[in-house]
Amino acid sequence: MPPGPFGMDPAIWAVLRLVVAVALAAGLVFNGALAQIYLERKIQAIIQDRTGPMHTGPYGLLQTFADAIKLLGKEDIRARLTDHWFFLAAPSIVFAPMLASYVVIPFAPGVVGADLNIGLLYLTTLGSMTVLGIVLAGWASNNKYSLIGGLRSAGQLISYEVPQILSLVTVVLVVGSLSMVKIVDSQQGFLINFLILPLAFTTYFIAGLAETNRVPFDLPEAESELVAGFLTEYSGMRWGLFFVAEYGEVTVVCSIVAALFFGGWHGPLVDVHPLIGPILGVLWFTLKTYFFVLVFMWVRATLPRFRIDQLMSFCWLMLIPLTLLNLLVTAILLLVFPDNILPVAIANWVMLGGFAFSVPFLQRRRLASLRARLAARAAA
Amino acid sequence: MSSEIIEQALFALLTVGIIGAAAGVVFLNRITGAALLMAFTFFCMAGMFLLLGAETIAAFQVLIYVGAITVLILYGVMFTPQGDRDYRLFFQTQTPWAALFVVPIAIFVFVTALFAFRDSGNAGALGSDLGPLATSVFRDYAFPFEVASVLLLAAMIGAIVLVKRDED
Amino acid sequence: MTIPVGAFIGVSAVLFFLGVAGVLIRRNAVVILMCVELMLNATNLALVAFSRRAGLPDERGSVFVVFIFVIAAAEVAVGLAIVLAAYRNRPTVDVDEVHAMKG
Repeated sequence: MPPGPFGMDPAIWAVLRLVVAVALAAGLVFNGALAQIYLERKIQAIIQDRTGPMHTGPYGLLQTFADAIKLLGKEDIRARLTDHWFFLAAPSIVFAPMLASYVVIPFAPGVVGADLNIGLLYLTTLGSMTVLGIVLAGWASNNKYSLIGGLRSAGQLISYEVPQILSLVTVVLVVGSLSMVKIVDSQQGFLINFLILPLAFTTYFIAGLAETNRVPFDLPEAESELVAGFLTEYSGMRWGLFFVAEYGEVTVVCSIVAALFFGGWHGPLVDVHPLIGPILGVLWFTLKTYFFVLVFMWVRATLPRFRIDQLMSFCWLMLIPLTLLNLLVTAILLLVFPDNILPVAIANWVMLGGFAFSVPFLQRRRLASLRARLAARAAA
Repeated sequence: MSSEIIEQALFALLTVGIIGAAAGVVFLNRITGAALLMAFTFFCMAGMFLLLGAETIAAFQVLIYVGAITVLILYGVMFTPQGDRDYRLFFQTQTPWAALFVVPIAIFVFVTALFAFRDSGNAGALGSDLGPLATSVFRDYAFPFEVASVLLLAAMIGAIVLVKRDED
Repeated sequence: MTIPVGAFIGVSAVLFFLGVAGVLIRRNAVVILMCVELMLNATNLALVAFSRRAGLPDERGSVFVVFIFVIAAAEVAVGLAIVLAAYRNRPTVDVDEVHAMKG
């Protein structure tokens, strides 16, 4: 084990490093959540042709601080019949895996928590642990609406894990490694994975929207449905912790998108200087990540919500066959033309075009069959 | 203080976690507590796999057991509410028989396990288990892999058919 | 190799026998399923410990463990489906009370 600075004992240095790393990650998550809450309100306001928060601070910049202070000062209501320990534990079970995801995200060359050679598998594993926290939250609230909201959310999360993992496996097939650093390293210059696997990007983006309970898949936590789903009984900072966990998860998903499909920290002038390079790399990575966070918010302001049966049938009847087909075609093409990604890229763009153009066609067919059924019922 | 002591301390902690949580699963009256202690056992088991250096298996353990099977068991617990009755009947005859058969065999197997096995010579030279595992599963054992997927399909269809309500 | 392989196998043995005791003693069907999962976990630990410490280059024990994962998941799903179907028939999961086919 390496000795610490000033000749510190290696074991103490290891523990100190761990504490500093966790504190940095927690700071990143909370500050990111603060920034994203403000951004979300401003962007939704701009898209909806209003101004958003303007009073507190210049251009409403202090609004999130005001919200956080209010949440911290709220009374900690505990309903008597809730299962106390599970009620307390549920936000932590949702928050902890998200915090642990920041270990493998590659911010810059050399700036990564731990270059695990199962990095991507580690991220999907942590993503699957949040389901447990949500089921517990729904069940421990001792409330019909919370229970149904929790079970619906768990069903949605488990269903959309499959297209998410299948899209990621397609990228791993092309790159050849599960390590996040190697995936970013394999995209030099303009050869980003988005140009090779646009369909994987699209399906991962949609599945990521569903995995983080964002619109149009936010049925479990929408305020107009089921009161507030599994968040009903949570108030004050416990609700704030769920919220921060959701924004943190959004940041993790967008970081994965930026790292896997858009070259991560690659950008102009990164390889120039050993000291300036990493700082520039972090800058490019953050810009790419927050671009996708803004797209998430743009989608939230634009699209209506799915019903639970529409959500499930979209996943099982459209996304999973699509991602399986993508995986199959990519694997076959990689076997037939080894070391040549051009056939894979062509096939992927063709499939993406087919997916995009077949949706109105399928919708028209479904509407026609619905109309036919209504006409038959009116005639009978 | 060195990595050896840390490794042994971790092993001791994980053992206490596994055995304690498993004892809780077996002897706890509250079913939901038992389910969560089972999840804790699975988590500590993943830690054990990490101590052995099998990181892919550890990730799969958390993904499958904590992420999916615990949720299934919680669904089963939630949909069959029984109240927290005592875990055995007053006049149940099974516990003394269980103790009579299980405890001696357990002690014998435990002592044998502790002292009968030796590490191989090059036991520490193995690297990550990702590459060899992938090669083995998809090359040497490809046929069992396909059979396993058929098994999953059959289990999925069977489970759906079993819980389907008979719609009139 | 600070931790001998016997230690891992010892832990696996204790866990396995706790699972066996659970299956014998408990009456709730869901808890019996949980104890079966404990037994499967103990087996996994023994297999991985032997596979990693035997110095074989191919991870044969870990391959078996992957298949055990698959089978355990399938078994829990079908087992819970059976328990839920039985619960719908008569609202109990007590295995002592489901004896309509006895005798």
